Amino acid sequence: MNTNKIDHIISLSNDLRWQIGDEFHDNLAEGIYADAAEIVKDSVHKKDEKGAFRVDAKIDKIITSKVWGFPLMFLILAVVLWLTIVGANYPSSILSGLLLDTLHPALKGFASTIGMPWWLDGFLIDGVYLAVAWVIAVMLPPMAIFFPLFTLLEDFGYLPRVAFNLDHLFKLSGAHGKQALTMSMGFGCNAAGIVATRIIDSPRERLIAIITNNFSLCNGRWPTQILIATIFVGALVPASYSGIMSLVAVIGIAVLGMVFMFLVSWGLSKTVLKGEVSTFNLELPPYRPPRFWKTIYTSIIDRTLIVLWRAIVFAAPAGAVIWLISNIYIGDASVAAWLIDSLDGFGFLLGLNGVILVAYIVAIPANEIVIPTILMLTVLVTGISAGAGAGVMFELDSVTATGDILRAGGWTLLTAINLMLFSLLHNPCSTTIYTIYKETKSVKWTLVASILPVIMGFVVTFLVAQIWRLGS
Amino acid sequence: MNTYNPITALAVFFALSILAYLLFRPNKGWFWLIRNNSVSNDKIVVEDVLKLLYHNENGDKHLNINDIIRTLKYNDRLILECINKMSDHELIGIKGDSVKLTKSGSDYALRIVRAHRLWEKFLAEKTGFKEAEWHERAERMEHELSKVDTDILASQLGNPQFDPHGDPIPTNTGKIAKVKGIPVSELPIGTIGRIVHIKDKPEIIYKQILAENIHIGSVIRIMEKTSARIEFHSEGEAFVLAPIMAGNITVSVLEKDVVFEENLARLSILKENETAKIIGISKEIRGDSRRRLLDLGFVKGAEVKIDLLNPLGDPKAFLIKGTSIALRQNQASKILIQKD
Repeated sequence: MNTNKIDHIISLSNDLRWQIGDEFHDNLAEGIYADAAEIVKDSVHKKDEKGAFRVDAKIDKIITSKVWGFPLMFLILAVVLWLTIVGANYPSSILSGLLLDTLHPALKGFASTIGMPWWLDGFLIDGVYLAVAWVIAVMLPPMAIFFPLFTLLEDFGYLPRVAFNLDHLFKLSGAHGKQALTMSMGFGCNAAGIVATRIIDSPRERLIAIITNNFSLCNGRWPTQILIATIFVGALVPASYSGIMSLVAVIGIAVLGMVFMFLVSWGLSKTVLKGEVSTFNLELPPYRPPRFWKTIYTSIIDRTLIVLWRAIVFAAPAGAVIWLISNIYIGDASVAAWLIDSLDGFGFLLGLNGVILVAYIVAIPANEIVIPTILMLTVLVTGISAGAGAGVMFELDSVTATGDILRAGGWTLLTAINLMLFSLLHNPCSTTIYTIYKETKSVKWTLVASILPVIMGFVVTFLVAQIWRLGS
Repeated sequence: MNTYNPITALAVFFALSILAYLLFRPNKGWFWLIRNNSVSNDKIVVEDVLKLLYHNENGDKHLNINDIIRTLKYNDRLILECINKMSDHELIGIKGDSVKLTKSGSDYALRIVRAHRLWEKFLAEKTGFKEAEWHERAERMEHELSKVDTDILASQLGNPQFDPHGDPIPTNTGKIAKVKGIPVSELPIGTIGRIVHIKDKPEIIYKQILAENIHIGSVIRIMEKTSARIEFHSEGEAFVLAPIMAGNITVSVLEKDVVFEENLARLSILKENETAKIIGISKEIRGDSRRRLLDLGFVKGAEVKIDLLNPLGDPKAFLIKGTSIALRQNQASKILIQKD
C-alpha cells in the first residue's frame, strides 16, 4: 500500500515535470535572479565610487593596450624569473655549504665514532640524507622567492589581466586564458602549477592545463639547463659571447616548451578531451593594494612548504635507491653498472647514454638530483677519480671540472643538446605525478600526463640524434 | 652498434609512425573500423529497420523491402535475413511487397527513438562534444542503452520533453509532445515566429545551418522570399538562406500582437560606450555554461556595457552588476540584448 503510494507520487511528479517542459528550470533561475536584482536596486545604496573606478580604468587601459600590454607582460615575467634564478643563488649556496659541506661530513664523522656499520652509514647518510639535503638546498630558495612574488601579482589583480590578454592565443589551441598563469606558475614548480589549475573552472580546459603543465621548465630543471648550456653550448663561441650564447640556448628551450604546450593543448582538445565539458568566463577583479605580509605568509605556508614537504618525502627513498644500486653487486658489477650497460644501446639511439637514462629513472622523485646522480654514475662507470665514492652524489664548484668529467664519460655537443631537450620533455617528477592524481582523482589522466611527455622526449631526441648524425 | 645507420633508424621510425597513424587515426583508422564491424550485428540492423519504418510511417510514407535495402547501408542479405526474423517475431507485417510496423514493432521503435534523443540531450547538457557530432554518437549509443538505462538517463536529465534539435522525446509510456510549426520556406513575408526545430538530417545541410549561427529559440521575421532565396531578420542580423536549408528549419508562428523587437541584438555586436539591457540567454548555451552565466549575473533585465577591449580582439570584458566579466565572442553572440 505504502510503496504503491510512493510509486504513484513519483510517477505523478515525473508526469508533471514532463508537462512543465524544459524551460521551467531556466525560467525559475532567471526569475529569482531578476527579482534579487530588483530588490538590490531598491534597497542598496552605493556611494559614488567614480574616483576609484577611474584609476582602475586607467591602469586597465595601459595593461590591456595593444602597444604596452604584451611588452609589459614579458618584462614582468622576465624580472620575476631573473629575481628567482639569480636571487636564489646566494641562499642556495649558503644552504648547500651548511647541509652538504658541513653537516654531511659531521654526520659521517659522528657515525664512525659510534661505530656504525659502513652499509648503514652509507644507506642513511650518503643515500637518504644527501638526497633530502640536496633537494632542500636547491629547491627551497627559488620557491621561497618565486611564489611570494607571484602571489603578490595575483593579489594585486594583475594576473587575471594577463589571462585576459592572452586568452585568444590559448583559445586557438582549445585552452583557457588562465592557463597562461598556471603555465607561469609551472616555471616555479609544476606541482604548484597543477594545484593552481583550480582557478580554471571548465573541466576540459583544466585537464589540458594539468597535462601540459610539465612543459614549463620548473626550477628543478633550470639549473640543469644552465649548467649544460654553459659547458657545451657556450663553448661554441668566443669566450666573450659564451654567456649570452648559453642564455639564448636556455631561453630557447623554455620557449620550445611553450610551443609544445600549445601543440599538445591543441591535440588534446581535438582528440581525447573533446568530450569533456567546456565553459568559459573570466572575472577581472578590481585592483587592490596587495596585503603584503599576509601574502608572503600564505604563499610560503600554502605553496612553498607543502611542495617542499612532498618533495622531501619522495626524495628520501630516491636517495636510498641511488645508494643501493651503486653498492649492491650482482656478479662483478653493481646494479647501476648493469642498468647503465643494458640501457646504453637505447640511450645511444636517442643521442643520450645509459648513465643519463638511469639517472632519470632513479631521479624521478626530484629533477634537482639529476646532475649530481649523472656525475656520480659517470665517475662510477668510467673509473676516473672524483667525487666521494659509489652512491655518493656530488657536484663540483668548478664548471670546467664538471665538463671534464662529462666529456670523459663520452659526452658530445649532441649529448648536451639532447639532455637539455630530454630534461624539458620527460615524465613529471613523482611529486607532480602525485599532485596530478590528487587533483584529477583519475588514474587515466595521471597516466596520460606522465607518459605522454616521455614518449615525446624519446621521439624528439631520437629525431635530433638521427638528423645530427646524418649531417655530421 | 656495428649495424647502426641513422637512415635505417629513421626509416624504421617512419614506417612505425605511418602504421600507427593508419591504425589509430580518428574515425577511419583500421583499428576502429575493425572494432566497429565486429559489433555490427543483427540487433543493430533490426533496430535500424524499425527506426526507418517508424520515421517514414510518421510522415505517412510506406516502404517496401527494396526501399529498406536501398536506404540502409548494410549487406543486402543481412537485411533480408533480419526482415524475415522480424516478421517471425511479429515486429513487422509484410503484405505483398509493402512492410508495416505492428503495435509491438512500433513500441520497440519508439524506445530506440527515445534512447537516441535522450542521448543527444545528454551530449548537449553534460559533455563538450560539438553539435555536429551529436547525431552520429547517438546513432551508435541508441543500440547500447537498455530500457532501464534509458529510464535512469531520463530521470537524471529531468525527463526532458525535447531533444536539442527540438524533436520531442517519447516518454517511457510512449507519450510524445506535439511540435506545431511550419517550415521557414513556407511562411509568407512579414510573418514573425520562433524557431522550434532544426532538422539534423541530412548532415550537410545541418552543418551549413549551424555554420550560419542560427539557433533554436530565436525569434525571426521573414523579410523577403523568392524561389532562390529567403531572407529573414533575427536578433539584429539578417540571414539569407536557400529554400532547401529554410525547409529544414521549423518555426512556430507567433500571434500578431507580439511585438517583434527590432532593436533586439546579440551582445557580440555591442560597441564601446553603448549600454544595453539583457533580454536572455539563447537555448544554445546549455548545462554548466548556462548556469555559470546566470551565476555571474547575465540575467533578464540586467544592464550591460563594454568594460575592456582586448589587444587581440577576443574576449571582451563586459561590465555587469558592477563586475567586469570577460566573455568570448562565441558566448557573447548567444546572449540577447536590447540596446538603450
